[in-house]
Formats: sequence, C-alpha cells, structure tokens
Amino acid sequence: MIGVKNINILRRVFVGLIIVAISTVVIADGSKVPPPKGEQCVEDPVWMRTNHFETVLHQRDETVLRGIRTEKHSLKNCIDCHITPNKDGEYARYSNSEEHFCASCHSYAAVSIDCFQCHADRPESAVREAIKQHTANGINPHADMKSSANELILKSSLLSAQ
Amino acid sequence: MNNVVNKAYKLLRKSEQVTDEQKTDQSKRSFIGGLVGASGLAVAPGVMLYQIASAKPADQAVTNKVRWGMLVNVNQCTEDCDACVTACNDEHGLWPEEGSSTDSQWIRKLTVKDPSTQNTKSFPVMCQHCEHPPCVDVCPTGASFKREDGIVLVNMHTCIGCRYCMMACPYKARSFVHEVLEDQLPSTPRGKGCVDSCNMCVHKVDAGDNTTACAQACEKDGHQAIVFGDLNDPQSEISKRLKDFGGTQIRADLGLNTGVRYQGL
Ligand code: SF4
Ligand code: SF4
Repeated sequence: MIGVKNINILRRVFVGLIIVAISTVVIADGSKVPPPKGEQCVEDPVWMRTNHFETVLHQRDETVLRGIRTEKHSLKNCIDCHITPNKDGEYARYSNSEEHFCASCHSYAAVSIDCFQCHADRPESAVREAIKQHTANGINPHADMKSSANELILKSSLLSAQ
Repeated sequence: MNNVVNKAYKLLRKSEQVTDEQKTDQSKRSFIGGLVGASGLAVAPGVMLYQIASAKPADQAVTNKVRWGMLVNVNQCTEDCDACVTACNDEHGLWPEEGSSTDSQWIRKLTVKDPSTQNTKSFPVMCQHCEHPPCVDVCPTGASFKREDGIVLVNMHTCIGCRYCMMACPYKARSFVHEVLEDQLPSTPRGKGCVDSCNMCVHKVDAGDNTTACAQACEKDGHQAIVFGDLNDPQSEISKRLKDFGGTQIRADLGLNTGVRYQGL
C-alpha cells in the first residue's frame, strides 16, 4: 500500500516533472503555436508558466468586484497578445490543442480548466468576424451545435475522467 | 401605476413626440452646456477641471461617491422602436434565438395601457439596479452583488445557477443561460449554467464612456429617451432632469430605490 504521505511526495515529483516538461514543450522547436504579438511577457515567462493562474485569479476578483481593469494581468490582455493568426490568417480556437497557446499547454499538462466556456479565446476582432460570418449565413452565433465549445467540453470531461 | 405596468396591451397609437416639458429642458441644458462646456472647464492655461463623472484610472476601485443610474423618458419612446434592445444584444453578444423563450433578455420593450384612460405607453425595462436588491439578499453564494457605484452584477465565477435571484427579482430582469454559448465577446463573458442580466454596460462605464449601449442607440435614433449618469452628482444631466421633472420607480412600493427611473410613466 502506498501511504498518503508517499502519494503526496509522488504528486509533488509529478507536478515538478510536468512543469519541467511544460517549459521544454513551450520552448521546443516545431511548435505549431503562432508567436505572440509582443516582444516580452508582462512577467518573467518561466514564472508565468507556473504562476499565471494566480495572477489571473487575483485579477478576476479585482475586476468583477471592484472594477479594477488594469491590463497587465487581465485575461483579455493575455489573449490579445498570445492568440495571433496562423499562416492562413486563422485564429486557433481553444479546442485546438496544437495551435491555441493556452490549450497547447493545458492539454499537455492534462489541466481541465473552463475559462473559455465563458471567456473569449481569441481577440475581439476575430470574434466579431466570426459573428459576422455566422449572421451572414443565417446562423445564430450561439446555435452552432457542432461548435468547438461543445467539442472542448467533451474533451475536457475526457481529460478529467482519466 | 402598478396595474398599468403589469397589464401590457398592444399600443393603439404612438406616443406624443416631444412635449413642452422636454423642450424647456433641452434649452436649459444648452444654456448650462454653454457655460460649463461638455467635458471640462479651463481654470488656467493647461489646467483643466474635469467633471467628476469622467473616467476613473484603471487601477482604482469604484467608489460609492458615484451612483450610476438611467432615466427613461417614456414620452420620447415609441412602440415601433427597439433600437435599445438590438444595441444591447449587439454590445454584449446575446443573440437571442428567434422564438426562444429562454435565451437571455437583458432589456425588453414593454407596452402598457391604462384601462381607465386608454392611454398607452411603451418603454424599455432592464435590471433596475436597486439600491436594496432582493436578488442580492437571496443569493446563497454572494455571487449576486452590488458594486460600490450601484451597479448590480452576477459574479459568474461564484454563481451556482440556483436561480433564486431570478425568483426574487420583481422585474423579471434576470435570465438563465441554458445552452452552451459560442462567440462570446471579450468584454461580456457569459456561459451555460449562470444567471445574467443588464450590467449597465459596466465595461463601458469603467472605460469612462459615461453612457450605455441602449442610451447611445436611442440617441442615435433621435429619440433621446434614455439618459445615463451619476445620481449622486447634482450637476449631472440625469440629476437635473430628476430634480426638474421627477422620475417614477416601477413598483416604488417595494422600497428598493431603483437606479433606473422613468419620466412620464
Ligand atoms: S432589478 Fe432585479 S436583478 Fe436588478 S438589482 Fe433589482 S432585484 Fe436585482
Ligand atoms: S443563480 Fe447565481 S447569482 Fe442567482 S442566486 Fe443562485 S448563485 Fe446567486
């Protein structure tokens, strides 16, 4: 039997390994994630890889409850910088774990996080463009049942079931 | 008045256009506008005294020095116009499905008739941004809350979708999102399992726009029936109008002290 303590140690080692792996994956060549817009992340990238959820979590309460809307740690700012069009000029959706910046890492680390069931996973211009196309085709933007949002939720529940 | 609001009938004739009341109001405003200027007053070269209602710095929290509200001039609202509703849907990416009875409605047009006089009125109703909001009282998680500046919101991070607030709201202002959503806009995150309602265009207010999508659309359409502003600032247009002409609260008997008021109801 593995004791609780051992499990905890194992868990820590595992998390450590994942973090190392993530760092390598992001840096590794052959990534299909389009490069970010900016030159430099708002924080040290290594620190960000392991701590970005703290900053986003903090900022979300500041914004929703107190109306503080500084750009530095806002999810919108992350998305605007990191989600850029690929060679074909298309913005990857969150369900695309190869090309979407956030999804590429979340799926690698088996993190099932649901920011993008509510939050936009690409910059506003791209969302507006998609809405325009849906509307032009006579489709309600929310009524696309084969939507990537559904796919994403399916995939996320598979992830958490593992 | 409650009977009037509760019984919606088809409008038989259009509301009068501009009343004398509003004409006086317009000229008064331009007089004051001429003295003070639209955005600021120069006290010395290069030094400007800006109106209190201008944008707050992004890193500062909202305070209760301001209380945002809206005044709807019912006499300038016509039944055939739904520019405010369309603008709200567009601003927040609501896109209600044709014929759906459950898709979110943040603002809707209501037409009422007083049976005793046959007088009909048409006006928009959205979250009334109560000072004492019943939706906040009943929320088990604290997700339904009132910001310091009077805007009532749902914190969707902590909303569990119990819908108590929908039951508690006397104005049926809240909707529950039943379906998976797609293409939400960055400034209005929303999703399945949460309740949502008019947020008084909080992202615009925080950006210092000093208006809401519905008020803007109404103005653009030439009705100018909705005025947005700071109820705490006696110099704001909304306060001046309220001072001069008064403003009714829908179901004032409930004592909720709503932030949305109606003129001519
Ligand atoms: S109108 Fe309804 S949703 Fe809005 S603050 Fe009042 S009780 Fe809450
Ligand atoms: S549905 Fe959400 S906001 Fe409304 S009472 Fe329940 S937890 Fe609170």
